[in-house]
Amino acid sequence: MGLLLGFATALPNLLVAALPGPVADGAVRWERRRIRKFLDVDSAQPTGGRAVRYLAVRALVGLLGGFVLVWLFYGGYYAAVIAYRLVTARLPGLDLGVAAYTVVVGAVLLYVEVQGILGVAALEARVARRFLAPSEAEVLRARIDELSASRAGIVAAVDAERRRIERDLHDGVQQRLVALGLLLGRAGRHPDRADELLRQAHDESARVLEDLREVAWRVYPAALDTLGLAAALEAVADRSAIPVTLHCGRFDAPPAVGTAVYFLVSEAVTNAVKHSGATMIRVEVTGGDDGVRVRVEDDGVGGADPLGGGLSGLSRRVLALDGRFAVRSPAGGPTVVEAELPCG
Amino acid sequence: MRVILAEDSTLLREGLVRLLVEEGHEVPAAVGDAAALLRAVEAHRPDVVVTDVRMPPTHSDEGMRAALEIRERFPGTAVLVLSQYVEQRYAVDLITNDADGVGYLLKDRVVRVGEFLDALRRVGEGGAAFDPEVVRRLLARSRNPLDVLTPRERDVLAHMAEGHTNNSIAARLHVSRSAVEKHINSIFDKLRLSGVDGYNQRVLAVLRYLRA
Repeated sequence: MGLLLGFATALPNLLVAALPGPVADGAVRWERRRIRKFLDVDSAQPTGGRAVRYLAVRALVGLLGGFVLVWLFYGGYYAAVIAYRLVTARLPGLDLGVAAYTVVVGAVLLYVEVQGILGVAALEARVARRFLAPSEAEVLRARIDELSASRAGIVAAVDAERRRIERDLHDGVQQRLVALGLLLGRAGRHPDRADELLRQAHDESARVLEDLREVAWRVYPAALDTLGLAAALEAVADRSAIPVTLHCGRFDAPPAVGTAVYFLVSEAVTNAVKHSGATMIRVEVTGGDDGVRVRVEDDGVGGADPLGGGLSGLSRRVLALDGRFAVRSPAGGPTVVEAELPCG
Repeated sequence: MRVILAEDSTLLREGLVRLLVEEGHEVPAAVGDAAALLRAVEAHRPDVVVTDVRMPPTHSDEGMRAALEIRERFPGTAVLVLSQYVEQRYAVDLITNDADGVGYLLKDRVVRVGEFLDALRRVGEGGAAFDPEVVRRLLARSRNPLDVLTPRERDVLAHMAEGHTNNSIAARLHVSRSAVEKHINSIFDKLRLSGVDGYNQRVLAVLRYLRA
C-alpha cells in the first residue's frame, strides 16, 4: 500500500522538484507523513535545495517501486489465469512435469518479487534518512534551543520560589511577630490585664516558631541530606491533609535528582490537597538503571492547569535535569503527574 | 477617633482592633481587602483609615492604591499606610499634593505601641507620620547638600521629616522647645527653604527637599 502511494506520488514529485518553494516543501511534508506511517522513519523538514534533491531521488525510488508492483500484478494475473484453467478445464497436453516446473518458477518469481518490494521499502527509508535526517548542526541547534529554554526556565523557577519564600516570611512569620509584639505592647500599657496578655503572647511565640519551622522546611527539608529521600517523602506524606500512600523504591540517585524528586512530590501533593478535592493520593517513586520514575496520582476532580505556577515550576525543574514531565488531568479527574529523571 | 482598619491577616487585624478599642478609639469596621475598605469608608466616613499595603486578591499594592483613592475621594479622611517593607515611592505618592493627615509606617512600628498610637493621633489630627526608616533613606540618598548642617540640625531635620511637632522633637531630643526652634530656623536658612508657614507646609517642604 505504501509502495503504491509512493509510486502514485513519484511523478508529481518529479514535477514539483522542478519548481521549488512552498510546493516542494508541502510535497516533502506529505512524503514525510507517508514514510513515518508505513516505514516508521522519523524525519526533519529539510530546507530549500535539500527538499528538491530529496524529491528528485525519491521520485526515482517511487518509479522503481511502481515497476516492481507492475511485475507483481503481472505475475499475479498469470498465476490466476493458470490456476483458473487448471480448475475449470485441464490444459490440453498438460504434463505433470511442466506443471511442477511452472509452480517452482512461479514460487521463485514470487520470492524475488517480495524481496523487490522489501528492497524498495528499505531504499525509500535510506533515502529519507540520507536526505531528511537532521544534520549534526541541526541536532546541536535543537539541543542548544532546548538548553536555553530549560536554563531560562530554571531561572524563572528560582525567582518564583524566592517570591514564595518572601511571601511566606512576610505574610506568615512577620505578621505573627507583629501580633506578638502588639500583645506585649498592650500588656505593658495595661498592667491589670498583663497576665492574660502575656499568656497569649507566650502562645503566640510558640506559633511563630512553628511557622518559622514550616517555612524553613519548605525552603529546604534538611532531612533530605541527613535521612535521605525516602524519609523526606514520608514526612511529606505525614504532613499532607489528605491520606498519602507512598511507595518509594530503594535506589541510588545523585543529590540533584533526589532533591528534584522531593520537590516534585511535595508540590504535586500540595497541589492535590489545595485544588483537587481528592480523598487519597498515591505516590510511587521507582529507580531503574536509566533513572528515577515518579508518579503522583489523586482521585480528585482533575482539571489541573499544566501551565499553572506550581506545575510549570515542576516541569522546569525536571526539564533542567533532562527529564520528562507530563501532567494528565482531564476534567472530572483523576490527576496524574508523571516524571522521569535520568541519573547520569 | 473613629478608625477603620484594613489588614488581611486576621490575627493582626484582631490585635489592632483590640488595641485601638482599649485606647478609647472607635472602630466601626475592620476589613480584609481593599474593595471592602472603600465600601466601609463610604459607609462610615471615619476620621482615620489604617491600611496594609499588600492585600488580596493580588497581594501587591492594593492597600496603597485604595489609600490614594480615599485621599482623593474623601479629602477629610486621614490615611495611615502600613507596609511590610520600606518603599519610598509609596511615601512620595502619598504626599503628591499635601501632607495633611498622611502617614506611612513600617508594619513593625506597630510593636512600639506608644509610638504607633502617637503616629495615629498625629495623622488623625491632620499631621503627618513618616517612618524613620523612610526618612533615613531619604537623608542618605538626598542629592541636595546636607553637609552644611550640624549633626544636631540633621537630627532635627529627620524628626521634622517624620512629622513630629516642635514639642515632640524637643521631648525626643531632650532639649528645650526654644532650642528646637533655633535649630529649625538655622536649617531653613542654610537649605534656603523660605516662606514655609505652618506644620504641614514644613513637612512637605522638608520631604520634597530631601527627595529632590
